[in-house]
Amino acid sequence: MITSCFSITGGKFDEAGSASRRLKEQLKQIGVDGQIMRRIMIAAYEAEMNVVIHAVKGNLWVRFDDRRFNMEVVDQGPGITDLNLAMKPGFSTASAEAKQLGFGAGMGLPNIKKASDQFEVDSQVGKGTRVRSTIYLETQSVEQPTGQGLFVQAELCVGCLDCLKACPARALRVWNQRPLILSALCIECTACIEVCRRGVFEIPDTEINQSEESVSEVHTLVIPRAFLTQFGSKIPPRVVLAALRNLGFKDIRFTEEWERELRRVVRRYAAEQKQHPVISPICPAVISLIESEFPSLIPQVAPFMTPIQAAVEAWILCSATFVAACPSQYTLLERADLSGRLRIVNPAQLSARILPLLKARTETAPTVQKQSVQPSRSGKNGQAVLEAWGVNNVVEILEKTEKGLAGDFQVLELGCCETGCYGTPVFEENPYLAQKRWSASGLERLRPVKAVPIKSPYKARTGMRLDADMSKAIEKLARIEELTAGLPGRDCGACGAPSCASLAEDIVLERYPGLECLVS
Amino acid sequence: MKLEELIQAIDAQVLQPGSERGTEIARVFAGDKISALLERAGPGTMLVTSLANTQLACVAELMDCPVLCLVDGTEPEPKLLEAAARCETAVVVCVLDMFETCGRLHRRLYGDNFRRS
Repeated sequence: MITSCFSITGGKFDEAGSASRRLKEQLKQIGVDGQIMRRIMIAAYEAEMNVVIHAVKGNLWVRFDDRRFNMEVVDQGPGITDLNLAMKPGFSTASAEAKQLGFGAGMGLPNIKKASDQFEVDSQVGKGTRVRSTIYLETQSVEQPTGQGLFVQAELCVGCLDCLKACPARALRVWNQRPLILSALCIECTACIEVCRRGVFEIPDTEINQSEESVSEVHTLVIPRAFLTQFGSKIPPRVVLAALRNLGFKDIRFTEEWERELRRVVRRYAAEQKQHPVISPICPAVISLIESEFPSLIPQVAPFMTPIQAAVEAWILCSATFVAACPSQYTLLERADLSGRLRIVNPAQLSARILPLLKARTETAPTVQKQSVQPSRSGKNGQAVLEAWGVNNVVEILEKTEKGLAGDFQVLELGCCETGCYGTPVFEENPYLAQKRWSASGLERLRPVKAVPIKSPYKARTGMRLDADMSKAIEKLARIEELTAGLPGRDCGACGAPSCASLAEDIVLERYPGLECLVS
Repeated sequence: MKLEELIQAIDAQVLQPGSERGTEIARVFAGDKISALLERAGPGTMLVTSLANTQLACVAELMDCPVLCLVDGTEPEPKLLEAAARCETAVVVCVLDMFETCGRLHRRLYGDNFRRS
């Protein structure tokens, strides 16, 4: 994965095009050629010229590997008042000077869109504009794989098979003492991380590979507040906060700011709905679970982004560093970060950086005072809100909801980790202790933010298809059923699959050589 | 068709030689909007335009376009010639207007038969 940032100065027509030229040199080095290069150059040059023509300054961020090229061009400028009009071929607000040079044909954004496989433009009037483009370097399916938020250190596995039983999506296999995640099935909850005593599963370490000109702009840190409570009783949250500021982060924001706003808007939204309960998209892993296992409940999910996605939206025009508290947050951040403009760090990386600062500043912590930390069970006007935590509880409640047995609640706020992000196994502190420590810290002030409606509807995941050809898939299904019927049905896991049915599927799809039932 | 032959057809003057005088030209595209030129430029394409600024060289470089033809005897900005030299793009200028230039180039490339390039 290569990440680069090229700066662009507004109004300097003589220098214009240099970012695109430098980008072309990079792409030539990895062998991008022909039609794909043409499309990338059209998108990059048009986006660069938009900054030169309309903005004060901007950056062209790119990130690419051998499969896809992602570009984000973010500017500080007047913004676009009417995006629909701006997308209309022929419409232009370019200056007379630009028009004299041959620009201002009103073809910039339409040309970028035409050249891109995926295109997006966002703008804030008076602040600036962000244009995003993805161009596939090779043919690939539209389906986005999940499971990329989990890094597996297979060599640590002792083959205890605990993870097989813990995975609610039956996405894990342990073959030859090597765990493997079937990414089409993984919902990126934290069940495997939680249960594994050997630390086989973790959030990937992110490579910090940005060019120097971008680093100075990264000055906001977005963290779950649970992060501040992870350093024991003698280092209170405000000391951790001060240490983070000493690292150079001028501003520190909490994902709970967006979570609180989401709760508020979903409760209001639920009050207007006829069908209950409305499911609040608080936890991205729960959404993933619904998309995979409970697609009939998708219409009941409130049409808002998860808190971490809404937080990313707040930084559409500048850079920020995000701490991913779980694999599903990591994946969403990765997807949102098409261009490498945002930095994603895992909590362990950040902890390692502030530990030396904290050691020097240990002090006596205030005594935790008695106060209620129980989340409210009801919203305004006696609205019935059910909060439930832990993946097993979530699965059970979704099953009941599917059967129409949870209609007495207006809103479901479900999270895969105990007590929400305090309970992610990426954090070592007990979630109840961590939560209490936070509430005693007096740092409760959360700044007002906006909830963000989803741009495209939540949709069912196709999961693992048995075969691209439907008639062959039907044949395979019949063989799986036949094989399953001949297996003992004990779902013991000794074969490395979580159930007899999973083993039958693995055998038919030839996922691993020599698979067989070790019991029968 | 060789670039040399097209240059002769429009009596153009070579202001900046490209990488090779024997470059093969398969298509001609004429226009005065950078976006349109960008979209149609490519290897083997001659761009005909009445613009004369440095961005023409940038478009040619990004899209691997071998030659720029300026019409109406337009005098190019010196920086255009410098940029064209750097990216080995030929720049030629002819005194004919856009219509006449395109007519002659079309006839030379495709004869009297109409063919959209």
